[in-house]
Amino acid sequence: MKHPAIFILLALMFSFSRDGRAEIAIEGTVGLPKTQSAPVANERYEIVSEAGVLKTDPPRAVVYLEGSFPKPATLPVKQMEQKDLTFIPSLLPVELGTKVEFPNLDDVYHNIFSYSPAKRFDLGRYPPNERPTPFQIFDRPGLVTIRCDIHEHMRALILVLDTPYFTISDPQGRYRLTKLPAGHFVLKAWVNSKTTRERPVDLADGATVRVDLP
Amino acid sequence: MIRSADSGPAGIRRFRSRLLLAMMGVVVAVTASGIYFAQRRADDDAQNDLRGDFELELAALHRLQDLRNAAVADRSKTLARNPRIHAALEDNALDLLYPSAQEELRGLMTEAGTTSATVAAELQAQFYRFLDAQGQVLVPPTSDAGTLSPNEQRLLSPPTVPQTMQTGYLTQSDSSGQRSVREIIAVPIRSTETDEVIGALVLGFKPVETTARSTNTGMRSGILVNEELQLPEFDQAGEEQATRAVLQSLTRAGEREHSLRTTIAGVPHLLFYKRLNPASTYPPAYEVCLYPLTQLQARERKLRAQILGAGGLFLFGGFVLSQFLSRRLSQPVEELAVVSEENLAQRQRAEAELQTTEEELQRSARFSADASHQLKSPITVLRAGLDSLLARDGFSQEVYEEISALIHQTYRLTGVVEDLLLLSRMDAGKLRLNLKPVDVTHLVEEWVDDLQAMPESADLKVETNIPAELKVAGDPKFTALILQNLLDNARKYNRPGGTIRISARAARGQVELRVANTGRGIPEEAQPFIFERFHRAGASEDVPGHGLGLNLARELARLHGGELRLLRSDAEWTEFSALFLKAAPAGRSPDTAK
Repeated sequence: MKHPAIFILLALMFSFSRDGRAEIAIEGTVGLPKTQSAPVANERYEIVSEAGVLKTDPPRAVVYLEGSFPKPATLPVKQMEQKDLTFIPSLLPVELGTKVEFPNLDDVYHNIFSYSPAKRFDLGRYPPNERPTPFQIFDRPGLVTIRCDIHEHMRALILVLDTPYFTISDPQGRYRLTKLPAGHFVLKAWVNSKTTRERPVDLADGATVRVDLP
Repeated sequence: MIRSADSGPAGIRRFRSRLLLAMMGVVVAVTASGIYFAQRRADDDAQNDLRGDFELELAALHRLQDLRNAAVADRSKTLARNPRIHAALEDNALDLLYPSAQEELRGLMTEAGTTSATVAAELQAQFYRFLDAQGQVLVPPTSDAGTLSPNEQRLLSPPTVPQTMQTGYLTQSDSSGQRSVREIIAVPIRSTETDEVIGALVLGFKPVETTARSTNTGMRSGILVNEELQLPEFDQAGEEQATRAVLQSLTRAGEREHSLRTTIAGVPHLLFYKRLNPASTYPPAYEVCLYPLTQLQARERKLRAQILGAGGLFLFGGFVLSQFLSRRLSQPVEELAVVSEENLAQRQRAEAELQTTEEELQRSARFSADASHQLKSPITVLRAGLDSLLARDGFSQEVYEEISALIHQTYRLTGVVEDLLLLSRMDAGKLRLNLKPVDVTHLVEEWVDDLQAMPESADLKVETNIPAELKVAGDPKFTALILQNLLDNARKYNRPGGTIRISARAARGQVELRVANTGRGIPEEAQPFIFERFHRAGASEDVPGHGLGLNLARELARLHGGELRLLRSDAEWTEFSALFLKAAPAGRSPDTAK
């Protein structure tokens, strides 16, 4: 890229030419439960259950826009690694129909399975660096608890969403959804397995709407 | 003292029978108490034996239960760690819960159609169910977890989800309608992450069968749960009777382990019960053990027979012994009674004799007195006649001499009569003494003067050694008589040219007067009798005397509180000793005596 300005201009033109409108975004803060532990800088978090409620620790929220959107022809393949006897990432929001691969990057066997109503599967025991990489396609929306039959503490959540517009907040609950369509939708924030907050939003061209979900 | 009324044979018999009765009473009391205590002891022992059996049975039961509970707890921990069961419970995938657990619980469940006789069979579950976090039963999709009716399934659910292992019991009906008790163990399943109870596993077992149940003590045991008791070999009525007995005892005495006697199906039983699941949230269940007392009663009957036999034997022995003892004990009494009877007879005889003797004595004394009086007057008349004859002239010299001799004889006769009179008065106790101080020296001197006047005694030598003014307490007349008697004897029985020695001395309120004379002694064989009446110790006829003197002197001396003794009599000397009471100092006169 010898001429960044031209590139930016081209990109802008492209986007404008596609939608013919200015970019729509939502930003705000999701109220997250207070945790005892100080927020950690890195991206790692784990799934804990408390009184039967599964949540992330440190807490994060998945914010997504619910509505009827056209299905994309292809969806990117996502990965949930098993490394150091944990799942990375621990919380993975995916669009409905996404193929998720579960590569074993440890030195031991793992046995990934789920009894969740949204997706029941059992990948069986497989060694490190199993090829082809075991995967599952998540074709029903909902929360899927991923476990390892061998390592009882390993747990992860895959949130299957019937929308392409979603994001994970930071530990403070801040989020920003971009490239949204205009129209009337419902903005939802998944906080934990028992809590999902929602707010109807009207999105107009070029506007950045601020929605806080306390 | 034994009264004459009791001393008869009837009294003795009564005494002996009373003694026998008392001893038999003691024997009966001892035997009865012995039987009572032996029986009670035997009863207690038997009951303690059975209680021991029950305790043993329970101990064995609890040992096996502990073993099994440990195994179950261990298994449930493994289950709770199982991610699939965890997942099924947390993700509400109940259809996958039982299949997931199946593998884990396979070792725990009884294989269909196999009956194992080993101890391991006790560890084989008949059914299992999972409870959710609220304690509700999660109904299995298949029959792999064992069949239970909905009602039975409902009983598996405790009031709250168990936080610790809980033991309960329920009665289950099998396909043929047979009711049997199942022991259920509820184990909480805890989240490995938060330690929260996320569910529970309930396992149903056959109750532990202990070896004691198969022994032939006739013991029946069962488990009382939900007011239902299953007892082998009892019909429903019997089971209900036992149930009622236990429930009544429970309301009365609480849950403490207890024993009671009750009659079931017409047979008395000893019943023990103890709560099997103390502190459980499940309804209480009780181990109930029944021992038919028929065997025990038979044993007791045998024992009672033995005790009674022994008691009877003891009683019989006691009776015999008491009979023997009472005889032995009453024997001295009887002897005493006999002796006393004899004594009484003797006494009565003696008294009668004494009476007779006294009467005779009185009679004889009176006779003597009368006789003496009657004799004295004729003698006086006789002497007066003889005196007048002697005064007359005209007789030859020979006649005068004869008359003189006769007069002398009358005097002798008078002496005898007077002595007899005196003696008889003494015998009759009628002699009165007029006691006053009597001067012994004076009396002796008078007699010595008289002696000098007697021509036949002129050559006799008299030695006196008497303290001056020596006075004795005595009647002057009778004291003089005693002295005269002694001194006359000393003169009469002396040899010509012999010696008379008179001595006196005072000592310890008494005065001893000794009179000794030379001459032929009194023969030794005659000495004991010289103080008897009309005894003359070998005296020749030429010695005057009538054999009353010494007797009279001694009686008089004794009457004065003194004594007269023969000290010695041999070829040289004959010595008498007379004791008198010393006269009291002037101014006081001694008492008069009869």
